Amino acid sequence: MYAAIALVAGIVVGLFLHPTVPDWIAPYLPIAVIAALDAVFGGLRARLDRIFDAKVFVVSFVANVLVAALIVFLGDQLGVGSQLSTAVVVVLGIRIFGNVAAIRRHIFKA
Amino acid sequence: MPEPAGPSGAPRRNPRPALLTSILGDTLDPGYAEAAARRGMSGPPPARRHLAGWGYLVLGVLAVGLVLGIAARATAQSAPSAERTRAALLGDVHGAQQRIDSLEARASVLDDQVRSAQAKLGATGPLATVSALERAGAMLPVQGPGLRVVVDMADDGSDSGVVLDADLQLLVNGLWASGAEAVSVGGVRLRGTSTIRQAGGAILVDNTPVFWPLTIDAIGDPSALHVSFVSTEGFGRFAAFASLYDIRFDVTARTHLTEPAAPGPDLRFATALTSGG
Repeated sequence: MYAAIALVAGIVVGLFLHPTVPDWIAPYLPIAVIAALDAVFGGLRARLDRIFDAKVFVVSFVANVLVAALIVFLGDQLGVGSQLSTAVVVVLGIRIFGNVAAIRRHIFKA
Repeated sequence: MPEPAGPSGAPRRNPRPALLTSILGDTLDPGYAEAAARRGMSGPPPARRHLAGWGYLVLGVLAVGLVLGIAARATAQSAPSAERTRAALLGDVHGAQQRIDSLEARASVLDDQVRSAQAKLGATGPLATVSALERAGAMLPVQGPGLRVVVDMADDGSDSGVVLDADLQLLVNGLWASGAEAVSVGGVRLRGTSTIRQAGGAILVDNTPVFWPLTIDAIGDPSALHVSFVSTEGFGRFAAFASLYDIRFDVTARTHLTEPAAPGPDLRFATALTSGG
């Protein structure tokens, strides 16, 4: 419950506070969004599996964002940045899809 | 790697690669299971740790929300800027086109002024020579009786019904050879250096694209023009095309045809001799 309120609060703050995004962060923002969605759905599924752990949630989210940004950064330096960000999006996208499917099985039992 | 056994007990031919299996199967972070196993061994967490867990959770979720909100904001901001760039480029293009139009209009107004000034000075002497040369150089619009030839490709879209630039060149040369005094192809007046070329499926007359069906106007004595045009190679070729490949080829005599002026020659390197010529 508090988690949902905090999520909405974060989104509202992000939307209405107009934080200026520095140019060097802009390429990593989509990756961060995918990692954030992965963390949210992963946490939701763990909660439904009754194995949720707040520390794991936060640490995995932060680490995933950093690692994804690092991979894309390295790819940019090597000239394959867009391909590597595609790879990150595909892997995280598959995880999101699998987690949402698990959540669906929990909720609808189907 | 041992081959996993299939449902029937026989070894499976194509074992799934371990990487794909783990990507598709382990969608949940393994950390959750490990943390749960640790908790299971050490019993339920004490109240203090529970509170710390809530703190973690709220902070983490707040961070997630911030990322989502900032990203939404940034995307919404950058989309209009791309749109603005596009609109600005379109505006530039339109502005350039309008400038071309106005300059062309101005050029024709100045042309008219030059001509009326010449007419005021009288129609004899050097000015008469100028206008005669202009007429010969196809720099004045002309009118008169003549032949109108309409050519179109066959409708069936087959390759054999395509009219090539070389065919049109032959046809137009036939018109000149039959005594035409002025020729325009698709509304573009031909001058001494005019070209008829093909770029892909389009015909370019003096680098101006013209469209099918193509109207070729030739000014001259209609009956004499017609008689000698019929015996040219171009006419024979198109007559054969019309019967063999079903292209359109109509030749009609007209009592009144008008043709626009050809653009003046773009002399970039040639200059006139100063004395006498």
